[in-house]
Amino acid sequence: METDWKKLADIARSRATIYGLLTAVFREVPTEALIEELRGPRFSGALSEMGMDLGDDFYVAPTSTIVDQMTVEFTRLFIGPGQHISAHESIFVDLDGGRGGLWGPKTVEVKKFIETTGLEYATQYTGLPDHVSVELEFMQRLASLEAEKWGRGDRQGAEYCLSVQRLFLEQHLLSWLPVFCDQVILQAELPFYLAMAELTKDYMTFERQRSLTVTAA
Amino acid sequence: MTKLNRRNFMKFAAGSGITMASGLGASQSAFAGSIKMQAGGRDFSPITKKERQAIPTACWQCVTRDSMIGYVEDGRLVKLEGHPDSIRTLGKLCAKGQAGVNQVYFPDRILYPMLRAGKRGEHKWKRISWDEALDLIASKLKPLRDAGTPELFMYQYGRHKASQAATMYDFMGAYGTKTIGNHTSVCEAAKWVGQESLWGGMYDNWDYDKTDYVVIFGSNQFETHTNHIPTSQRLIRAKVDRGVPLYVFDVRLTNTAAKADQWVPINVGQDGLVMLSMCNVIMNEGLYRKDHFKFMRVTEDYHATDEQKIAAVKKNVAKYTPEFAEKHSGVPADTIRKIARGFAKANSACLVTYRGTVMHYHGADQERAAMLLSAITNNLDRPGGRVMGVGAGWKHPSSPKAKVHKGLDVNDGFPDEAAYPTHHVSHQVLPMIKDGHAGRPKVYWWSCYNPGFINGDNKELQSILQDESLMPFLITSTIVYDESSQFADLILPDVTYLERWDWEDMVSANQIAEFYIRQPLVKPLGESRCQGDVWPELAKRIGFELAYTSKEDFVRQSCEMTPGVREAGGFEYMKKHGVWHDPDAKPNYGFYEAKVDVSGDGIILDEKTGVYWNWKKAGAASEAEAKKNGYLGTKGAKGAYVAQDIGGTAYLAYPPKTKFTKAGYLDFYSDNFAKKGLPAFPTYTPIPEHQKMAEDELNLTTYKVAVHTHSRTAHCKWLTEIKHDNPGWINTKTAEARGIKNGDKIRVYNDLGEITTTAYVTEGIIPGVIAISHHFGRKHSGVYGSGKRSPLPGEAAADPDVKNIWWNKHGTHPNAIIPNSSDPISGTQRWMDTVVRVAKA
Amino acid sequence: MSDTKGPEISRRKFLSGVGTAAVGTAALVAPGVNIEAASSKKAPRWVMVMDLRKCIGCRACTVACKSENDVSLGRFRAVIQEKTMGTFPNTKKAFLPLMCNHCEGNKEDGIPPCIKACPEYPGERAKFKTSNGKTIRYRKGATYKRPDGLVLIDKEKCIGCGKCIDACPYGVRSFDPFVKAGGDPSKQAVDKCDMCAHRVDNGVEPSCVNTCQGRARIFGDLNDPDSEVSKLVKAYDLAKADNVLLPEEGTDPHVFYIDPDNILKTLYTQRKKGKLDHFVDQMP
Repeated sequence: METDWKKLADIARSRATIYGLLTAVFREVPTEALIEELRGPRFSGALSEMGMDLGDDFYVAPTSTIVDQMTVEFTRLFIGPGQHISAHESIFVDLDGGRGGLWGPKTVEVKKFIETTGLEYATQYTGLPDHVSVELEFMQRLASLEAEKWGRGDRQGAEYCLSVQRLFLEQHLLSWLPVFCDQVILQAELPFYLAMAELTKDYMTFERQRSLTVTAA
Repeated sequence: MTKLNRRNFMKFAAGSGITMASGLGASQSAFAGSIKMQAGGRDFSPITKKERQAIPTACWQCVTRDSMIGYVEDGRLVKLEGHPDSIRTLGKLCAKGQAGVNQVYFPDRILYPMLRAGKRGEHKWKRISWDEALDLIASKLKPLRDAGTPELFMYQYGRHKASQAATMYDFMGAYGTKTIGNHTSVCEAAKWVGQESLWGGMYDNWDYDKTDYVVIFGSNQFETHTNHIPTSQRLIRAKVDRGVPLYVFDVRLTNTAAKADQWVPINVGQDGLVMLSMCNVIMNEGLYRKDHFKFMRVTEDYHATDEQKIAAVKKNVAKYTPEFAEKHSGVPADTIRKIARGFAKANSACLVTYRGTVMHYHGADQERAAMLLSAITNNLDRPGGRVMGVGAGWKHPSSPKAKVHKGLDVNDGFPDEAAYPTHHVSHQVLPMIKDGHAGRPKVYWWSCYNPGFINGDNKELQSILQDESLMPFLITSTIVYDESSQFADLILPDVTYLERWDWEDMVSANQIAEFYIRQPLVKPLGESRCQGDVWPELAKRIGFELAYTSKEDFVRQSCEMTPGVREAGGFEYMKKHGVWHDPDAKPNYGFYEAKVDVSGDGIILDEKTGVYWNWKKAGAASEAEAKKNGYLGTKGAKGAYVAQDIGGTAYLAYPPKTKFTKAGYLDFYSDNFAKKGLPAFPTYTPIPEHQKMAEDELNLTTYKVAVHTHSRTAHCKWLTEIKHDNPGWINTKTAEARGIKNGDKIRVYNDLGEITTTAYVTEGIIPGVIAISHHFGRKHSGVYGSGKRSPLPGEAAADPDVKNIWWNKHGTHPNAIIPNSSDPISGTQRWMDTVVRVAKA
Repeated sequence: MSDTKGPEISRRKFLSGVGTAAVGTAALVAPGVNIEAASSKKAPRWVMVMDLRKCIGCRACTVACKSENDVSLGRFRAVIQEKTMGTFPNTKKAFLPLMCNHCEGNKEDGIPPCIKACPEYPGERAKFKTSNGKTIRYRKGATYKRPDGLVLIDKEKCIGCGKCIDACPYGVRSFDPFVKAGGDPSKQAVDKCDMCAHRVDNGVEPSCVNTCQGRARIFGDLNDPDSEVSKLVKAYDLAKADNVLLPEEGTDPHVFYIDPDNILKTLYTQRKKGKLDHFVDQMP
């Protein structure tokens, strides 16, 4: 059977894109540029096809207002002060002695996993190693590399990338991201973070199914 | 549920079109480098080998600041233990110290700078960057400085010590503000003021390793103390291994009282009276030791003979018979006699006092009584006695001072509130700002401090913070959202003490100074930042330079500047070993006996006081004028003190090292006190509120337990698990009279308000008192501290152990019904003078 | 992996020499532990002596244990009980440190009741090597007694049935909500004081002993006549029934109390059947 290299590369690239989007959403408070991009016709179209509604306000209010609202919401949801949804794997995963709050044994596992691939944490990155956006960005990197490998017809390399992604999903992201998303869905007041949490959760379902079925492309 | 599925996800991806590479949103990648895949389909197996490092550092849970070792694994702090090489701690660490790990990793820790987005107290915030935060602060501070009004920037701190304080004062000096507040008046100011008026310095320590007898008033050393670990282990060792008698006067059967030969219950505020009564017994029965009288001044006469002084002391304490003392204190006269005799006859004896003794009306005078008792038995700064604490003297870099250097007069209480507020009246800072007569800061920055919790009438103080018309810009540096930071305009994420550099200097229990440092065990979490690293950044933005570039640099420079430490190997040595003391040092005793050469240029003898002083150093115009005005009549003479002439010998004696101008004697007769209409000689002064108590009224006292600091440990889960509720201790008879049974819900109330708690009915407290510890009733302070998932509604995520929280009580805060009210001598907050009624709820 | 005690495993590494350069060697010397002397004839017999005169109720041990073993909230491996006695003003208060007694077991079979209750005992055969190379054979189980006297739990083998929790007359065992029972992952494993075996095995005294400011906790080898514990047991005649908890249970506890005021019995709050409330460290 002939391999459709381009299709495999496109799939990987698309997955990388979605991981990239989610990384941008959860990494930090939104910038005006991000809001502009999200309000653009391409993205809004894509969203409505997915059945998501960010509310009219999101499209009509001045960008600065949206940024302000979303900054307050982001801070309330993910930063605090006081009780908030701490977006770290070690906070959510209680197996294997990961009971220590921030910077738990899970944090160390994630950090080592990522560093084993040759990546390092950038010095300008000030968050914790197991922040949701870090795990998403890591997947984005792996999927991008996979796309590149398919593009060059490097089956072995691409499949290796896939296997690492599968391992990371199973050992880390899938074990907590859906629960995290449930919390966000419960707590979000703006349609944006609600929608993004739903999207992320559904995407994880998609990734789980894919991870189970696609053993080799 | 969205419609995302495996058929349409590619379309969605194409539509969303946003990638990390496009530079949008998360413009900063978390990663550097690139993925390096191994060729071949080998299994992917991250190495899980752990590395563990042992790093010497120092505790900061309480002011004792024990040196310790942190064990770090994979960049994660896993355990703290005492430093085995420390001559102070001898390798021990208390419960609070052990729980330091919780400070770093508690789930609701503040990790990013936040700017208020709603109204004060509305809990709406925006995360901002440090650059934005510092620019914002500079935009507030620079105009004040440029306009020549640096005093409109006020800084107030709770726990700042050693290099943490030195860097802060250095910055404030370079900036120009002298409006710097502290917290000492709610802590123990009266004790220091009492001591300074006598021996010219402060911080007494007790030589338990050598003592033969210990009497403690109102101090709970086995649970909590400003030098807990160094002293308490030595005390229990003295007690059990050497059979040293230990008597503890306290309203409550504390753990300390529990281990004593005898717990002596005493009515609130009567410690000084019992001490004076012990003096009475000792003087009348001729048990005093004459040795120290030559260093004492007990009448107006500077030249009295020892016999005259003995007669005067006898006369002054004559009215405090054990029977008189029994009437007021509830301590049987025979008990007073027994303990007085034992104390006086022992080779050496320690008299210990703390908050129970001094946080009262005329609290400073109670401390003077304690010093009198120690002096007449010759137990001051002698082996086995009450000694002057010895701590490390660090040298450190200093930045150039600002040209304009001014302060608002908000630190020392309202006019005539306190005669000698040498440690300030910190509990009145916010009320004074509200009052406005001494001016109001435009920028108020508090750090490691929770004024809306730790002071009296704390809810009123919170309302002052909340009122934007009083102070327009509020900054706080904190690790946890608390009762005060909820009203800030800008929250800066502070590091915990386990993530920062410091040199440390707390006094030793063995009279030999220990130099030690604190170093980061782990990298600061998130964007938390040490204030010692913030100051240089902020200075640059305002337009001046500091003498150091970071806290680490400050500590490094200090290590290289400090004699002893420098020769031992300086910064590198301290990083490796954590502690240093001079191996040849001898314990420091009897400093007052040092004989002084008075032949130097400008040194003259003041006939009136017998003080040798240097008129040139004092800045007097001429020797003749210096002699004419005399030592006491020359401004600046205090700083030019050289020695005290005693019987023709020039002794160092007790130099006036503090704000009190005095001769070199122990001023048991104090002109300073006399001229302000205060008792010149230690005196029993009844507490006014207690004199007009109705039959059904009770004294309210507060206290600390072994597993908490006042306000900075509620979020430490291992501590809060052990102690999270604070029932009111009440004597069985007192409870019975009110129909209260153990465990009943009770109301405790007075004019200021009402709190509710449960009754702990016990034989372990004196009748007529209700005692409530002051750690709890947190409105914020994280899920472990307050049980609250606020300010978020509903159940938000927290760390896994939150599911295991099994307690649902979080206590009550007694400060809500304790007024801010000062000792007229020292300005200390009168925690223990509050009168309440208690009834079944 | 259910028995995840990462810190413990690696601490073993640390204590065997990795990363010790930074601190004074005193950290690695346990005054009470003299492995050399213990090794001459037989296995050591680790015991704890609690000097009630010196316990000041500070709870440093309780929290040190929590930290050392990362004990979840709601349960303890070591606690202090305190009691107020007498009538004002002659009121007294005293403190009682409690932990697993590392019992020897009854005279007949030498098996403590917790181990007897364990369905997984006796399990595989194991060898204990003394430091002079002598081998002692013993049987493991989900809970078992090592030849050096330590009563331990193998969480990989534990089936989470809880029978040992009920069987312990002292009530010092509890389910660890964070560790699955290896023998039945639908249940939680049982946990209790293991005398910091990971430290002791590397010549370091238990964490609670290390931080006891009153030096009320003295740890050591009862088989070494020169050890401090042996001397104390002799000096205070601690082997007699008055100086251990619940001697009538016939468990032969190996935590001994120096109790000159004879208050041990008054001070001790026993477990109520089926409950563990007595083993939650609380202050009034």
